[in-house]
Amino acid sequence: MLDEFWRIVINGRSIKKGGGGGKENPSISISVPQAFLVHLISGLGLAISLWVAQKFYSINLVSHSSITLRLIWIVESATVILIYSRFRIDPQQCSYLKAVVRGILALPVGALVNALGAIALGAPVGIQYLPKTINWSLLMSSFTVAPAASVFGLSWTYWQRIFAQTKPNGPLEYMICIPAHGAVIGGWFGAWPMPLDWERPWQEWPVCVTYGAMTGYLVGMIVSSGFVLANGRRQRLKED
Amino acid sequence: MISAVILQIIGLSLFVFGFFPVKPALSGVSGPESFYSDDGGDSDSVSNHTQTSLPPHLLKSLYQELSGIHPSFDRLILMVIDGLPAEFVLGKDGLPPREDFREAMPYTQALLSNGMAIGYHAKAAPPTAMVSGAIGGFLDVAFNFNTQAMLDDNLLGQFFRIGWKMVMLGDETWLKLFPGLFTRHDGVSSFYVKDTVQVDQNVSRHLESELNRDDWNLLILHYLGLDHVGHIGGRNSILMTPKLKEMDEVVKMIHLSTIQTRDNDQGKTLLVVVSDHGMTENGNHGGSSYEETDSLALFVGLKSDHSDYAASPCNSIYQVDIAPTLALLFDVPIPKNNVGVVISEAFDLLTDDKQLRVLELNSWQLLRLIQAQLPGLSCRNLPSHNGFTDGLASTIVECSGSMEKMLCCLYMNAVNLHSSWKSKSLSRSKSRDDYSCTAAAYHQFLKTASEWLSRRVTDKPVGLLAFGIVTMAVSSLTLLGLMICMSTEDQPGENQRLCNSITGMHKWSVNEIFLLGVMLILVMSMASSSMVEEEQYIWHFVLSTSYVLFLRKAVQPLASGSAKSLFKLMKGQTERHDIRISSIILLLISGRILRGWHQGGVNWAYLPDISKWLEQAGVNHVRSIQLASGLLVISLSMCALYLFGSRRKITRLFGLCFLICGLLVLWHLYHNNAFVSTSYDAAIQTQIIYAILGIATIGTFVVLPWFIPLCFPGTCSELNVKSTSVTFDGQCIFSLVEFRDSSYLIGLAYIICWCLLQLLLQQPINSMPILLLLVQIFSSMLYFSCSGLQHIEVEVALLYYMGMAGHFALGNSNTLATIDVAGAFIGLSSHSMFLSGILMFIITYASPMLFLLSMLMYISVKCTSYLANHQNVDLGHLAKMILGFPLSGSSGLEFNSTDFLHHCLGVNEKPFVCLECLLSKVLVCLCRNCLRLRRGLCRGCH
Repeated sequence: MLDEFWRIVINGRSIKKGGGGGKENPSISISVPQAFLVHLISGLGLAISLWVAQKFYSINLVSHSSITLRLIWIVESATVILIYSRFRIDPQQCSYLKAVVRGILALPVGALVNALGAIALGAPVGIQYLPKTINWSLLMSSFTVAPAASVFGLSWTYWQRIFAQTKPNGPLEYMICIPAHGAVIGGWFGAWPMPLDWERPWQEWPVCVTYGAMTGYLVGMIVSSGFVLANGRRQRLKED
Repeated sequence: MISAVILQIIGLSLFVFGFFPVKPALSGVSGPESFYSDDGGDSDSVSNHTQTSLPPHLLKSLYQELSGIHPSFDRLILMVIDGLPAEFVLGKDGLPPREDFREAMPYTQALLSNGMAIGYHAKAAPPTAMVSGAIGGFLDVAFNFNTQAMLDDNLLGQFFRIGWKMVMLGDETWLKLFPGLFTRHDGVSSFYVKDTVQVDQNVSRHLESELNRDDWNLLILHYLGLDHVGHIGGRNSILMTPKLKEMDEVVKMIHLSTIQTRDNDQGKTLLVVVSDHGMTENGNHGGSSYEETDSLALFVGLKSDHSDYAASPCNSIYQVDIAPTLALLFDVPIPKNNVGVVISEAFDLLTDDKQLRVLELNSWQLLRLIQAQLPGLSCRNLPSHNGFTDGLASTIVECSGSMEKMLCCLYMNAVNLHSSWKSKSLSRSKSRDDYSCTAAAYHQFLKTASEWLSRRVTDKPVGLLAFGIVTMAVSSLTLLGLMICMSTEDQPGENQRLCNSITGMHKWSVNEIFLLGVMLILVMSMASSSMVEEEQYIWHFVLSTSYVLFLRKAVQPLASGSAKSLFKLMKGQTERHDIRISSIILLLISGRILRGWHQGGVNWAYLPDISKWLEQAGVNHVRSIQLASGLLVISLSMCALYLFGSRRKITRLFGLCFLICGLLVLWHLYHNNAFVSTSYDAAIQTQIIYAILGIATIGTFVVLPWFIPLCFPGTCSELNVKSTSVTFDGQCIFSLVEFRDSSYLIGLAYIICWCLLQLLLQQPINSMPILLLLVQIFSSMLYFSCSGLQHIEVEVALLYYMGMAGHFALGNSNTLATIDVAGAFIGLSSHSMFLSGILMFIITYASPMLFLLSMLMYISVKCTSYLANHQNVDLGHLAKMILGFPLSGSSGLEFNSTDFLHHCLGVNEKPFVCLECLLSKVLVCLCRNCLRLRRGLCRGCH
């Protein structure tokens, strides 16, 4: 049913096999308005979850960081997995449901990786920080790993190319790679005010890191939209 | 280039000298000569003879005779209440203190209102000011920590010299400041800020028995609880009133017992209650606001006619005034660097001539200090000084003009008035008027001089500073320019070499850019003082980020490997990648543990960390961890040694040597308790270990280069390693191999020696971080051995960062308070400033030095990869690069970044010039660092 909805909303979703048969080329292409829409929806998901937290539960990241983070990651991961599963690279072998399931499965795995990374970079370890760290890493996972898992599944080459080498190829890879990197880099910069003696409540782990990551994610989405636009224009020129 | 380096060093030293004006503080201690005027020329030489030879009791009587003020007290109880604002006891602006506080301290308030005690608002200065009377400059604090106050004249030293027995109960900082002065002591740690009850009970538990004994002259009580209460709940904490009550009880107990001893004719006791600083509304301190500097000075036992304390006009003093007052009250010379003025009310009971004598002694002492600051100053040639004049009108001169003249003139006024007063008193025509005139003149001089001196301490020669900075900047720029020049020169050669090399990617990847960008980050972060306070976060964060980036880089080729599996020699490649990845993960884990070991810093130091947790778990755990990590260090280093070449006899010999050393160290650690044992045997043991370590290391360094070639019969047996740079023929591959082996062994020897030394010297809690640092070194060597020859400077920078992060992981910080003083006396049978300075240096700079020493091993590792990649290439550059290091490296064992520059002196190679630039930036950082540190320290160095 959702599939039908998508078909109505977005005109002409075009799937085409990449030429040459190699794995190097993306097997799926995404049109520019689609890309914009995907980014818009994931951004809106973030905004809505923050708004809901403020409006209905009257909580925010500073006062109830753990609960707020949980709300945000549930909304955001649901949005992201549902949208990105549309654009799975192997629609022939993998149904929409399967893509959603692998996105959901990847969420805790990605959270583990993110949590380990954060701890290695100095996130506090302690029983009182545990729920915060878990919720934060789930949110980070829904920014970084979950969409990639929905789209690429277990295809190791793509993962390597996007996360280890940062050489995205094609609009879809841009859309996954750049926001994910943006979130990580934003979180990294967000950690800088933490040791300072400003005595602000938001200096606590993981509040400012979350703010940084969300900002980085949004910036990354804007940048990737730009890339997709430029890419589409180049493609059109080439076709002409 | 060398000139640029020299310029750099000159600039640095100029800056340092400008920055830390070697305060013309008078070294040595005041002796009997301080009771003579400077005018008496020959008195100095006489007293110098007597001072050194006199036993304490004779010195005491000599002092009493010379000073002419016969003390009315025999014993002193100094009760320090940490962080008690004077406002709590004395009120503010003439108003009495708050109702609940007044009710909390009924006995003290009664003493004050009866006139049994005089209370003052004392403006706070650094904590040591109470006993030395001097306002410390930056280095002053350092020296105080460093040399155990042996350099600076202080009150306790003076008391000790006249044979006083001293007892200290409370904050163990006193023990660190004045080791060996106390006959009995019971130190408590100020570490657990959360503890407000136990910390004071530990002080009071011996109080009663001490009060009943009469074998001491000075009893110091230092209560920390009130400060802790303030830190937890601020001024209005609910714990504050009970704490004040407790303090009041202590005052009552002491006072009652002093009355008792006086009645029993056991001598009179003076009780001085002081606090070292105040606190802000929420309990912090260290700043310079009124609330923070408003500390208390309460003299109990001086009979005073001021019945109404609040109405007393001059109940505001400086904390530095306490030292001269106490000194003169007990007839010891005023400490030489004192800038305080005696509190005249304390001497109200004395006759007029004695009071004037007190002022005179204080004036002489201040004048001496002024003369030390202004070497040319002499007051004798002023026209106003004409010996004995009768009329008052002729002697009082209107004082104006420059500060020096003014001071001099004020002094002469006072002296003339005093002498005329004396002559009058001989003719029995003295009047009260003359006396007050003289006293006023003295007070005027003392006040002006004291203010001038305190201001003087914080002055800096701006010109010198600016010049130093400019010089350093110029040299940095020169080095940068040189580096660019060299890199462009080298370009064609580089390219050719790169064509030959198998791994041809010479692109700057993210982690290299990041590592160099770290320098920029550091420079920027130094602009914020709170970033300086929390510097360890930056180092750890940056370091772990770079590990993550290296990990990312190590994972990268795997992808292409699986993609183009056909083109690669799979076996060897994947093995290498496995090694790289696992070593990086090892680095990450050990780095994280190191980071969690000591919280450090200023703002978040109270947060839990592993060391606090272990210390709470108990001494036994700490000791077992210490022994275990000692064992692991030894086995790890033996592994590293035998991995390399167990076939050779010489290697075995050195291995055995270090094994014996290690076992000795372990044995020593096992038998002696965690705390510094002062027993003679322990000292001897330690000295033996020092000797064996030294011999083994030097032996390795000297002997190895001669023996290694013998292991290759028939090749270059007559060539030793050092001729490598001269002969460039085919055989050099072999000598390069030899060189590699020997540098590996020597580097390993250095590292093992250093680690064992650290195990011996560091606090037991730090032995585990030492092991982790060793692990870091080995795993990073493993990683670097797999990476190519590109970007050596980046890897060297990474090693340097590791050293710095380890420095903070060992519990050091940018405040001087974390310097471990206790360790500096391990194995010394007598007090030697030089030796303990060296030991302290070894302890403090353990980690940066360790990584510096590991550079030698790094060279060997690089040599290996060089051999692997370039079989026939011109060896000149590598040989030059490599040889410079051990030759200069062996010479300098003092850490500084300048030492790093030192290493680079012998090396004319590009990567190291780059490194040098990097380091000159570091130097600038360090200096700025000091600047910030100084500012922080000025704010109060508690």
